[in-house]
Amino acid sequence: MKRASLSLKRQRSIAVCAAVFLIPVLILMTAYILYPIIATFRNSFTQWNGISSARKMIGLYNWNKLIHDKKFWTAFLNNVKVMFLSLIVQMPIGILLATFLDAGGKKFNVFKVIWFLPLLMSSVAVGYLFHYALATNGGLFSSISNLFGGKNIDLLGNQRVALYAVIGVICWQFIPFYMVYYMAGYSSIDETLYEAAIVDGATRGQYIRKIALPLLVPTIRNAIVLSITGSLKYFDLVYVMTGGGPGESTELMATYMYKESFSKYNMGYGSAVAAGMFILITVIAAVVMRLMNRKGGEI
Amino acid sequence: MKKILTLILSAAMAVSMLGACGKQPAAAGGEAGGADAASAKATEVSSDDKTISLWDIATDEPDKTIWTWSVDKYNKEDSKTSGYTVKQVATVNDQYKQKLSVAMSAGKCPDVYLNWTGGPLKEYVKSGYAQDITDLVDKYGLRDKYNEAALEQTMIDGKIYALPIKNQSVAVFFYDKKMWKDKGYEVPKTLDDLEALCDKMVADGITPFALANSSQWTGSMYYCYLVARYGGPQIITDAYDQKGSLVNDATKFAGEKIEDWVKKGYFPESVNSLSPDDGEDRALLYKGAGMMLHGSWQVASIKQENPEFYKNLGAFAFPTLPDSKADQTTVLGTLGDNFLSFNCTGKKLEEAVKMAAYYASDEWMKLDVENGNLPPLKNAKSEEPAWQDIMEMINNASGVQLWWDQYLPASVAEVHKSASQKLFDNSESPEDVAKEQQDALDEYFSENGGDASTQS
Repeated sequence: MKRASLSLKRQRSIAVCAAVFLIPVLILMTAYILYPIIATFRNSFTQWNGISSARKMIGLYNWNKLIHDKKFWTAFLNNVKVMFLSLIVQMPIGILLATFLDAGGKKFNVFKVIWFLPLLMSSVAVGYLFHYALATNGGLFSSISNLFGGKNIDLLGNQRVALYAVIGVICWQFIPFYMVYYMAGYSSIDETLYEAAIVDGATRGQYIRKIALPLLVPTIRNAIVLSITGSLKYFDLVYVMTGGGPGESTELMATYMYKESFSKYNMGYGSAVAAGMFILITVIAAVVMRLMNRKGGEI
Repeated sequence: MKKILTLILSAAMAVSMLGACGKQPAAAGGEAGGADAASAKATEVSSDDKTISLWDIATDEPDKTIWTWSVDKYNKEDSKTSGYTVKQVATVNDQYKQKLSVAMSAGKCPDVYLNWTGGPLKEYVKSGYAQDITDLVDKYGLRDKYNEAALEQTMIDGKIYALPIKNQSVAVFFYDKKMWKDKGYEVPKTLDDLEALCDKMVADGITPFALANSSQWTGSMYYCYLVARYGGPQIITDAYDQKGSLVNDATKFAGEKIEDWVKKGYFPESVNSLSPDDGEDRALLYKGAGMMLHGSWQVASIKQENPEFYKNLGAFAFPTLPDSKADQTTVLGTLGDNFLSFNCTGKKLEEAVKMAAYYASDEWMKLDVENGNLPPLKNAKSEEPAWQDIMEMINNASGVQLWWDQYLPASVAEVHKSASQKLFDNSESPEDVAKEQQDALDEYFSENGGDASTQS
């Protein structure tokens, strides 16, 4: 009896302690995440220019407009393109680089540092950097082409290639992130597994294919979810490099939302776009996680 | 357990950005969650009764000198008698518009603030942040000082809501007089002349138009001028007053002309990726392109950037279309460039207008002219050679058409800019470009009920 009440007491004090420690985080989460989301949804039912104190409730008007808004769905399609190409390009290269660094150990520290650099720069800086590097006049590619007697190469001003040029830059920036992510995954694999495999006569290649990669699957899964949500909410680099143009060729949901809210003074509709994004991203992420978990089972 | 945790964590990841986005509207609402930029800025300007807060964009020279002059003069000479002092806060141009709208949404609008009239000024008036100053303008005899067309631009329904300040900006063609003389080119009077000249230039291996169109409004000037030459300035004013549609012969003509010109190679290669912010259009002109359609503020920029080239800088008006019945002297631009609007009442408003009236004084005019501008005042004259052609153009003009992206409501202006850009890589037909703009206008009117009274 006495023991039971003691453990109960202990549980209770742990609960109180946990609550106390969680309060600051909860307050921050409420103020900066939960409240803004609710406010965004509330604003999405209003007509508001973002300036005036008058907000008119207009019910589902903005949502109806959003569903029929061709530009929004074009932007969504662009986001989906970014998502797939990011997965296809970033994941394999990330794993490849991580495998390379993992196999090389300390000898390759120099590569580790160099490859990690893009991630250390702010997106805005990267955006400006490539804005100039890809410029038609005097940009990197144009200059190289001119050197060999070719014409200027227009990457960001051409509707057909602008999006892919931007995706290339996004990959350049985020491959190091996944590289580090997978390196962490590798380092969490027990060293004795490697030793056992070698003792059993496996080659390095066999070890990676048959043992390390399967053990890396949970990491890959998380990385995929991160990459998907990241691509769907992408904003800064695109905004700096192309501003969504030319035309709507590189417009993403987030840049579209920004333009509606802050350039066109349609804060109400901009909020509806933001809320629509929120729903789309949550649904897609949930479906993807459900699918992956069903396939692989819980690990 | 792990599954749930993953779900929660990824959901948190997914929303974190939205959180950041959602935060701004909330902050802009001036509600709780308060320790944000809006309220921080607001306290900075929350002026007591005797301080007149003035917001402008004069962060660099020569603007700094030009704008501070009147503030200093008022604070030195009038403060003692009136008891009011003016406090000036300058913000970088790009951030200014956003800062102003955030301040307004928080109910902390400054007493006097810079704007560009057009659509946004209408929004400010609608929201009650710009006062009617017609009586004060008459009381201090300011009506006679300003250029009529400039004052016209500040009026909504015949009432004055702002004072024009800085410069007479109109879109004109700039060219290199020496180069043209050497090659035997002549200033084109009509659009046919212009096309003949451009063909000659293309044959000579010269790109006729130095245009950098990544900012969209630069290319839009060609479009607006062509529409005005074909159908007159009333095409856009009628559309804005819901008396006509933008889907008409004039916009079709303008769109087809640009399409044709693009095909003939009048514009530089990949024009939509060149950036006017980096001065790529001026660079093209310096390197020998034929001519550049641009705002007259380029005079000051070229003077500073390339004094050698400046010596031979000439300007001419957009060529005419003799067959058209429309008025062919219309110029595209803004007479004033920067404007001041007032958000205070009674004695304070009167003192604020008094201060702003110093921007119409002869002494200040001299200062403004010295710095390469032409103030929107009746007796303003500039000795700069490049300005002579431009002044003549303005004096001969029957009217000034405000740039469309300034004239239209912000939501339509954005559509106008991105739609007209598509003409320059032939990615959308002229009809669709016109329709896209008209659709945006229709949507604006359907959402705003056509007039101000249904708002608020």
